[in-house]
Amino acid sequence: MKNKVLTICPYCGSGCHMNLLVEDGKVVGAEPADGRTNEGNLCLKGHYGWDFLNDPQILTARLRKPMIRKEGVLREVSWEEAIQFTAEKLTAIKEQYGPDAIMGTGSARGPGNEANYVMQKFMRAVIGTNNIDHCARVCHGPSVAGLTYSLGDGAMSNSIPEIEDTDLLFIFGYNAPVTHPIVARRIVKAKEKGATIIVSDPRKTELARIADTWLPLKGGTNMALVNAFGNVLIEEELYDKDYVANYVEGFAEYKESVKKYTPEYAETITGVKANDIRKVMRQYAKSNKAMILYGMGVCQFAQAVDVVKGLASLALLTGNFGRPSVGIGPVRGQNNVQGSCDMGALPNVYPGYQSVTDPKIRKKFEKAWGVMLPDKTGYHLTEIPHLVLKENKVKAYYIFGEDPVQSDPNAAEVRETLEKMEFVIVQDIFMNKTALHADVILPATSWGEHEGVYSSADRGFQRIRKAVDPPGDVKPDWQIISELSTAMGYPMSYKNTEEIWDEMRALCPKFAGASYKRMEEQGGVQWPCPSEDHPGTPYLYEGNRFSTPNGKGRLFACEWRAPLEQPDQEYPLTLSTVREVGHYSVRTMTGNCRALSQLSDEPGNIQVSPVDASSLGITDGQLVRIISRRGRIVARAQISDRVKAGATYMTYHFWIGACNELTGDALDPISKTPEYKYCAIRLERIPDQLRAEEKVRQQYESLRKQMHVGAGQA
Amino acid sequence: MRKERPNSFVIAEAGKCIGCKACELACFAVHNRDNGVAAAVGTVTMPVIPRLYVIRTDSFTMPVQCRHCENAPCAGVCPVQAIVQEEGAITIDEDRCIGCKACAMACPFGAISLYKAYSSGQEHKQPHLREQLNGRLERKTRVIAYKCDLCHDIASDGNTASGEIAGAGAVNNSGSLTEGGGGPVPACASVCPEQALTLVSPSFGASRSRKAAGLRL
Ligand code: SF4
Ligand code: SF4
Ligand code: SF4
Repeated sequence: MKNKVLTICPYCGSGCHMNLLVEDGKVVGAEPADGRTNEGNLCLKGHYGWDFLNDPQILTARLRKPMIRKEGVLREVSWEEAIQFTAEKLTAIKEQYGPDAIMGTGSARGPGNEANYVMQKFMRAVIGTNNIDHCARVCHGPSVAGLTYSLGDGAMSNSIPEIEDTDLLFIFGYNAPVTHPIVARRIVKAKEKGATIIVSDPRKTELARIADTWLPLKGGTNMALVNAFGNVLIEEELYDKDYVANYVEGFAEYKESVKKYTPEYAETITGVKANDIRKVMRQYAKSNKAMILYGMGVCQFAQAVDVVKGLASLALLTGNFGRPSVGIGPVRGQNNVQGSCDMGALPNVYPGYQSVTDPKIRKKFEKAWGVMLPDKTGYHLTEIPHLVLKENKVKAYYIFGEDPVQSDPNAAEVRETLEKMEFVIVQDIFMNKTALHADVILPATSWGEHEGVYSSADRGFQRIRKAVDPPGDVKPDWQIISELSTAMGYPMSYKNTEEIWDEMRALCPKFAGASYKRMEEQGGVQWPCPSEDHPGTPYLYEGNRFSTPNGKGRLFACEWRAPLEQPDQEYPLTLSTVREVGHYSVRTMTGNCRALSQLSDEPGNIQVSPVDASSLGITDGQLVRIISRRGRIVARAQISDRVKAGATYMTYHFWIGACNELTGDALDPISKTPEYKYCAIRLERIPDQLRAEEKVRQQYESLRKQMHVGAGQA
Repeated sequence: MRKERPNSFVIAEAGKCIGCKACELACFAVHNRDNGVAAAVGTVTMPVIPRLYVIRTDSFTMPVQCRHCENAPCAGVCPVQAIVQEEGAITIDEDRCIGCKACAMACPFGAISLYKAYSSGQEHKQPHLREQLNGRLERKTRVIAYKCDLCHDIASDGNTASGEIAGAGAVNNSGSLTEGGGGPVPACASVCPEQALTLVSPSFGASRSRKAAGLRL
């Protein structure tokens, strides 16, 4: 007998509803369900991405028992020993160096909102530091910072279904067909309903292909282009004067800043034709309902926050807020990156985006949690290598559901950082590259094995449900953290996730009404939802009241800065990291799904233009060596006429072709997000292909061995 | 029912396709249930073998697959009559196929590819032909021609599980895919999140075009 369990897809932020089909305690299939965003559709990850639950050991093995490093080797131990040991070590480090010597992460993946709530509470109330952050830092950190400045909320102002009813979609550095196939569906539908689609991207992506106008800008010139858009709106008086007068501030300074960025001047920087810049801004200003969508092509630059504010300014200038099907949408890449932000797994805010530096708010949390709380902002995740290697400030790292060695830039430096730390805790579901450096491994239940809530990219709280029992001796994340907390002298004893959720709701006015019951009844609740009789909020800023301190939207423009590392003679090409539709993040999940891993596997690809390929003598499918100032790797050349000469692109999922061995650690000064989309590299042809293939095979085998593959399935 | 009219076929709209390959995986999964794909236990080591191919050029992305030609050139060149017209579809009898590649050369759409044959998840070895492998003479794996069969065998026991055949008008195909005659929807069309694939019945298409032309007058 097959059972059906309704849940939410664990991959991208589209938040698709699906049924897991369960037979004899095993997941045997998935089928689409009728969710608000997906309406009975799934992409290939939704259809075939559940297989990792069966631990097929394709790439890495499931963690099944707690482990402690003894004499240099990770050995299985009992839960009592693991918790006791971890609690003692953390307490000792806290006593010796102070609470700020300990750093923790949230997890934007499977654990869900409740586990993230408990984790940030643990770091703040038990350890006594605001040093909590998560991988939003390396993706949409700039959106949270930039949009909070401009509009007051760091999330999508519109909802996903509204996309198909807009008149114009202005898409910037975002390739929905690969990152969010289900959002792409709304874009395709919008086009069918007559919307104009404008795409700005250096590559001819699938979206660029179906767009009415494609602006092929040079990588790393976003700010110049966005300023030129503002310049056109003002010079040609296309902006909405009433709207600006009533709801927006900072116009005079803005006008001054963009003055210099005439379309002709911007053309010299960006390579986009001045006439095209004018044309698209006239279209944008003229349409009744226009929406901006953007992604990593905006955020993963060292000038990301400025560009986010610049994009928000375009929507403010044209009055595109406070109604359905308008606004600005940073579309979240991971299934629960919105949720981890919502739950305050960030160094500057408690759950519900409430500032840690506001004494009134701090009092409220101190009262609820019964402890004194730190009043200064904690460290950012991307600063940790520097803080450890240069300033010797951080001693312990509690890594919860993340794999920074694979996902963070400059992997060699991340490894060195972990080695230098006194104590590294890894809490996860699969063995991974980071776990190789752990002192303690705490194995957790996975998506499909526990209850909880995810937040979709458009602020929708939705329930995930348990379908099968976990293998081995593993525990839900919130339970592990609670036990650790109790062992450190701060008792936490939650009966279930709902109890955690209700504690959280009582402290967060924006989320107060989103009870389990409401989610059950409605299928999901979009925040803000201040009370239980409130239906939730599909779009923000109704009545054009922004969530900024004085209720007005803020305009912003500033000088364009070139990316920090420029190509030169030795490293003549640029590298940008991108995604692949069938894989997800660090690939521990999709890499362990049979169908998905077959579709594309190690060592990964590098997209090269035909011009560069022929000048280097590289043919399609050959293995090539890729070298930057920080490292060298091997990957397979994929020659594509959609790529400009001088630029290359690599998917960041692969473990042998790990592009983060190459990427630089230049950071945006405000959000501390790394410049993944731009660094300098050199490509080399490998003459002996047979030997190279053999070496890749060997490397893969040894990697799998390190990941305990074949170590026996319980 | 289908015998009365030209063969149906599945066609993609390039304007909708985003190149996500969900269709390729669905086709693979639905045809390899005997090889353990989509079953939960054990690891299948066979490669993904689809019967439609997402192609990407500078300005184009869409899957290409068999058109089920009425005067199928592939069948014309098959020396062992492994390709037959069967209930509104052109199908290859994979047991009969000798892997001679004539059909692949003859197909104007490139809809036929040759891959290894698998049974129960294992490479299917030939009884007599041997080849040098790892320094030894070993039985050679069969290689056969694969192409779209309109989910011919599978459609009859339609099932809404992932990658399998959804009944027409199921929640994920909002009605528009039933043009082929209201029967089961092929796997590729039923999973495409963009509704880019349609099972077309040419007679229906023609009458629709005639009607549209009439209305324009
Ligand atoms: S990966 Fe994203 S688009 Fe695909 S099914 Fe999951 S939530 Fe939906
Ligand atoms: S599933 Fe649909 S959108 Fe995806 S590649 Fe196939 S036809 Fe294109
Ligand atoms: S109709 Fe069936 S056999 Fe043909 S391509 Fe689609 S899924 Fe494959």
